[in-house]
Amino acid sequence: MATSVTLEDALSNVDLLEDIALPDQQPCIEPPPASIVYQANFDTNFEDRTAFVTGIAKFMEEATVHAKLNEMLEEGDEYAVMLYTWRSCSRAIPSIKSNEQPNRVEIYEKTVEVLEPEVTKLVNFMYFQKRAVDWFCEEIKRLCHQERRRDFVSEAHLLTLGKFINMFAVLDALKNMKSSVKNDYAQYRRAAGFLKKMADPQSIQESQNLSMVLANHDKITNTLKEKLETIPGYEEILADVINICLTYLDTRMYVTPEEKHVLFKVMGFGLYLMDGSQSNIYKLDSKKRISLSKIDKYFKQLQVVTLFGDMQIPLYSYITKSPHYEENKSRWTCTATNNSPSYNILEQLQPIREEHTKYISELARHSNEVVTTAQKDSPRTDEENKELCDLALRGVQLLSSWTVQLMELYSWKLVHPTDNFSNKDCPKEAEEYERATRYNYDTDEKFAFVEVIAMIKGLQLLMSRMESVFNEAIRRNIYADLQDFVQIVLREPLRQTVKKKKTLIKSILTSIRDTCVDWMRGMEPTDDPCLKGEKDPKSGYQIHVPRRNVGPSSTQLYMVRTMLESLIADRGGPSSKKTLRKEMDGMALTSLDGFHKQSFFYTHLLNFSETLQKCCDLSQLWFREFYLELTMGQRIQTDGGDGSSEVRLKAFKPQFPIEMSMPWILTDHILETKEPSMMEYVLYPLDLYNDSAHYALTKFRKQFLYDEVEAEVNLCFDQFVYKLSDQIFTYYKAQAASIMLDKRFRAECAQHGIQIPYPPANRYETLLKQRHVQILGRSVDLNRLITQRISTAMQKSLDVAIGRFESGDLTGIVELECLTEVNRLTHKLLSEHVSLMDFEAMFREANHNVSAPYGRITLHVFWELNYDFLPNYCYNNSTNRFVRAVFPLSQEVNRERAPPNTPQDVYGTKVLNNAYGHIYNLYTGFVGSPHFRAISHLLGYQGIAVVMEELLKIIKSLIQGSIRQYVKTLMDSMPKICKLPRFDYGSPAVLEYYYAQLQDIINYPELKTEVFQSFREVGNAVLFCLLCEQSLSQEEVRDLLHAAPFQNIIPRQYVKEGEKPEAKMKKLEQKYQALQVTSVIEKLGTPQQAAIAREGDLLTKERLCCGLSMFEIILTRIKTFLEDQIWHGPPPANGVMNIDECTEFHRLWSAMQIVYCMPVGENEFTVEQCFGDSLNWAGCLMTILLGQQRRFEALDFAYHILKINKADLKDDVIKGVNLRRMCDRIRKFQILNTQIFATVNKYMKSGDADSLPVEHVRCFQPPIHQSLASSC
Amino acid sequence: MAGGRDTGSAVQRQIQQDWANREYIEVITASIKKITDFLNAFDMSCRSRLAMLNEKLTSLERRIEYIEARVTKGETLT
Repeated sequence: MATSVTLEDALSNVDLLEDIALPDQQPCIEPPPASIVYQANFDTNFEDRTAFVTGIAKFMEEATVHAKLNEMLEEGDEYAVMLYTWRSCSRAIPSIKSNEQPNRVEIYEKTVEVLEPEVTKLVNFMYFQKRAVDWFCEEIKRLCHQERRRDFVSEAHLLTLGKFINMFAVLDALKNMKSSVKNDYAQYRRAAGFLKKMADPQSIQESQNLSMVLANHDKITNTLKEKLETIPGYEEILADVINICLTYLDTRMYVTPEEKHVLFKVMGFGLYLMDGSQSNIYKLDSKKRISLSKIDKYFKQLQVVTLFGDMQIPLYSYITKSPHYEENKSRWTCTATNNSPSYNILEQLQPIREEHTKYISELARHSNEVVTTAQKDSPRTDEENKELCDLALRGVQLLSSWTVQLMELYSWKLVHPTDNFSNKDCPKEAEEYERATRYNYDTDEKFAFVEVIAMIKGLQLLMSRMESVFNEAIRRNIYADLQDFVQIVLREPLRQTVKKKKTLIKSILTSIRDTCVDWMRGMEPTDDPCLKGEKDPKSGYQIHVPRRNVGPSSTQLYMVRTMLESLIADRGGPSSKKTLRKEMDGMALTSLDGFHKQSFFYTHLLNFSETLQKCCDLSQLWFREFYLELTMGQRIQTDGGDGSSEVRLKAFKPQFPIEMSMPWILTDHILETKEPSMMEYVLYPLDLYNDSAHYALTKFRKQFLYDEVEAEVNLCFDQFVYKLSDQIFTYYKAQAASIMLDKRFRAECAQHGIQIPYPPANRYETLLKQRHVQILGRSVDLNRLITQRISTAMQKSLDVAIGRFESGDLTGIVELECLTEVNRLTHKLLSEHVSLMDFEAMFREANHNVSAPYGRITLHVFWELNYDFLPNYCYNNSTNRFVRAVFPLSQEVNRERAPPNTPQDVYGTKVLNNAYGHIYNLYTGFVGSPHFRAISHLLGYQGIAVVMEELLKIIKSLIQGSIRQYVKTLMDSMPKICKLPRFDYGSPAVLEYYYAQLQDIINYPELKTEVFQSFREVGNAVLFCLLCEQSLSQEEVRDLLHAAPFQNIIPRQYVKEGEKPEAKMKKLEQKYQALQVTSVIEKLGTPQQAAIAREGDLLTKERLCCGLSMFEIILTRIKTFLEDQIWHGPPPANGVMNIDECTEFHRLWSAMQIVYCMPVGENEFTVEQCFGDSLNWAGCLMTILLGQQRRFEALDFAYHILKINKADLKDDVIKGVNLRRMCDRIRKFQILNTQIFATVNKYMKSGDADSLPVEHVRCFQPPIHQSLASSC
Repeated sequence: MAGGRDTGSAVQRQIQQDWANREYIEVITASIKKITDFLNAFDMSCRSRLAMLNEKLTSLERRIEYIEARVTKGETLT
């Protein structure tokens, strides 16, 4: 690679990157996604201090001490982490049961082997704490020296001492709390002692010391206190430290939450250290050295602070522990247990919201400016830079205050767990941690928590997007401020000091200047009048201060601030009355003060990304080592629905179930409440896991903690996706069902006070657009996961719909159709957000109709027809409906049980299920046109064809089987001849005649059961076909009408006088030409498309135009079943027709008609009740098909009785039969028969004059005279 | 006095040089930061588009499977 790229090119290349458009179509509802994080840290920890030769030597020294202290603090932090994350090893080591145990030595050896590295750490910790205490006391001693005391101690130094105090407090508390550390060490000692590992006196001593350190409560604190009390005047330094903390709190001189809490802890622990045998804080207070009332106020406001992780400390405990507390009890108010208003997050929420809105809008203005003016040529002005810098600072401060708000509430809640009395949901045996988290927040608090988290994370994202802009503005602004200060502002004080010959101040001022000044020409202008103490010339003196995009280095900043502070400080004990401050001019002081104050935040701003991250860090919401230690041993996790293998693992690795874990509590709360305004925040609480995992990896550096976070995330995320997709599906299902629900039904219900609510709108769209959710460094396509689950749910609900139909009788088809439509609408609504398979395809799959020719629905329809509908339903010719017979003649049918389902598998919610249940209950009592419409929709041509084919088979088997058999039997018992008696006999006599003639038939036992049943089945089958065809025809007509406009079919028009119909039609055709599918496609499409269009057009047109009728075919087919001799009997002897002979089917039917026309007794069922009109349909149909209709009508016995009775109007009771009532019945059946004949004939087209079969007319030869015959 | 001024100006020059050096580092850092931001944005954008593509492919695959099942009518395709 010989080509070299210049810096300019490289930089402009980088700038060009901004121009590349990188669209990302997902709404941003998650924290900043970062596959790569870049953070530069230029903190040198004073390594470069020697370079600043112009600085004052004293502060150089201090910097050296500082560096050392910082290193120790860092080390202390590591030990704190070690103690906090300590998990008991000894628990896992097998215990030794008896001294005779053979593997005893081995166990001891292994114990030592395993525990040794850990114990080494503990030994190091012991030395460290000793060293740190010594060092700290040494430093205090140095500062307390009589001579030194007069001098000024810098804020930075005091703060570092404060951090030391904090470190001691933390380490000691952690050591006290962790009994597992002690146990592990005891186990190690036992094993090592057995193996004689510690033989030399030195190591025995060491081990002894370590045991003491570990075993003694508050060992570090006590040693520290003892040692401090030997130093005279130590309380003065501590008082300074406490005062500086107080000042910082007063003036809000802190940024990150941790900084704030350290100040509190230092005050508390500092007071404790100060109150002892040598000094008394109450005396110091009365000397006005410290202000206890102010501290009390702060402690009252913030009662609990985080000590480390989930370990909290109530601040007043430091006070109550101190020796002089008892006699001064009354001076403290913070010890009383009252709730501070700062713990009421609900009250804090409104101001937070307002701050958020205000800040966000301000930020938006700037970010828009950045976007639109990114390419502007001139760099930002100083004012703009300043504005952005201020904005950045305010942003992080806001974020920090919100984080503080949350964390403080969390801390407080941890210290104040709930119980069964305050929260009824909390069971008595609830775990300690559970009482502190799970049951400790009410709904509103959880929502507030989520909302604040969302605000924090949302603003963090917005700010980190602007990070580059902020960074540049911050650096430019700080540079400008600093250089303006040292080059211009400092001129005036310099002039003053030169004039008044104050050499010390002058040397400090020059030193400040020289440490960080960046002269325009590389050196100080020698002609500056202020250096000589002279006034500026009238024309003014110009200094051009350069501008750069860089801030001061950490050491530089420290030097400048410390030296500046030494000028303006007014701190110090009674021994240091004389300060430099008093010698300074008032004006100059204000400007120096101002700069000193504002430069405090430079460090934070220069490390903007780190500060931002610290201010938004909520990782501690997950860590619970303290509570695990508390509950250790008491609990071996067995609940949570985990598998048995999980339980075994957890016995070694106890961890709380996710229900107690804050991130999941919050996430789950949103999911459970389905609160629409919170739904879009649902990913934020999940992000807490990212924070925690990041913390576990970078701060704790513990693999097992990360693993536990990861395991929890795996579990939670599965739950999350499961619950969410379930919810989304239910939501859309309920929406679809609500849309489909009959409006009038809904209105009626409302009138009766029953509300069927529409599902409240929810914001799932945004969640459904998430295609890369970042969690633990993985990118999850949420949309895809939800799509998978939803399509399973969709498939299941179709399956359930069909399953429900299969579990019931034929009437369920109407509900099935409705359910299908609801599902279709659900599918349509969902398809806007997720990509699902075609509804038709899904439906076919559920119907098992993808590769099989007919599906579950068709099969069940047929099954129902065969086993339930044909044998059990009665047709009513006037309502065109079938109803179930009063008593079933066939055995009870066993259907499959309905598949198990939840409300969302059906209509979405229980209310909707109920409403639809009521509506469709109305369709369960009959089978009529709605059912046939549903059947024709759901079965389609193919399904109907199959069903009819099968029905024909049934009809065939009935006709050629049982009916034929019965007919044969019955024919034999028919009288050979049965005449139509003359009118003169009178109707009673005629009835009596028939009664006598047909005795055998009437008394045939199976007639009214088996025989009629067979006929009813045939009738039902035929009627089913007829009604199906009718409803199918309606569909077809509708189709045709819908298709008509596209097929150039224009309805006939009304023509006014003088208008030509042809012309008008032509005009209309012209008008609608653009609608005609075939011609349009021929014009615009490919030949292939045109051909398809033509064929489609033809298919639609031809469907009905030739009047194809299924029913006619069916009739013809049935006719072929009736070829047996039995139906016709032998040809008539007279060659024309049988009149009195009973050989044909219609005669038998007449006999049956007599039977069913007989009126029944009071508690008997009529034939119609048992068999319906289907019976007549079967009889009449067969009569027609056999061509015996006319003979039947002419020669029927019952008709004959009716005719005679009409004439003589007689009434009598013959053999228990009431003649009048019988005639009534005959008349009704006659009408019915006529209707049936008419209907069937319509289909048979036998009424058509043109198609009257000629061969039915028999031609007789005219008689021939014998004479003629012989001549032929 | 003259010697003092010389060392003084020498230090001043060094300090200025230091400012310049650090500004250079700052520029490079800012550029790296921009590259980082770009890479992150690129990552997100790619993921989003790949997810879309994946979705389309999945649905096509499903369609093919379905059509295959429709046309085979019981027997399996060889």
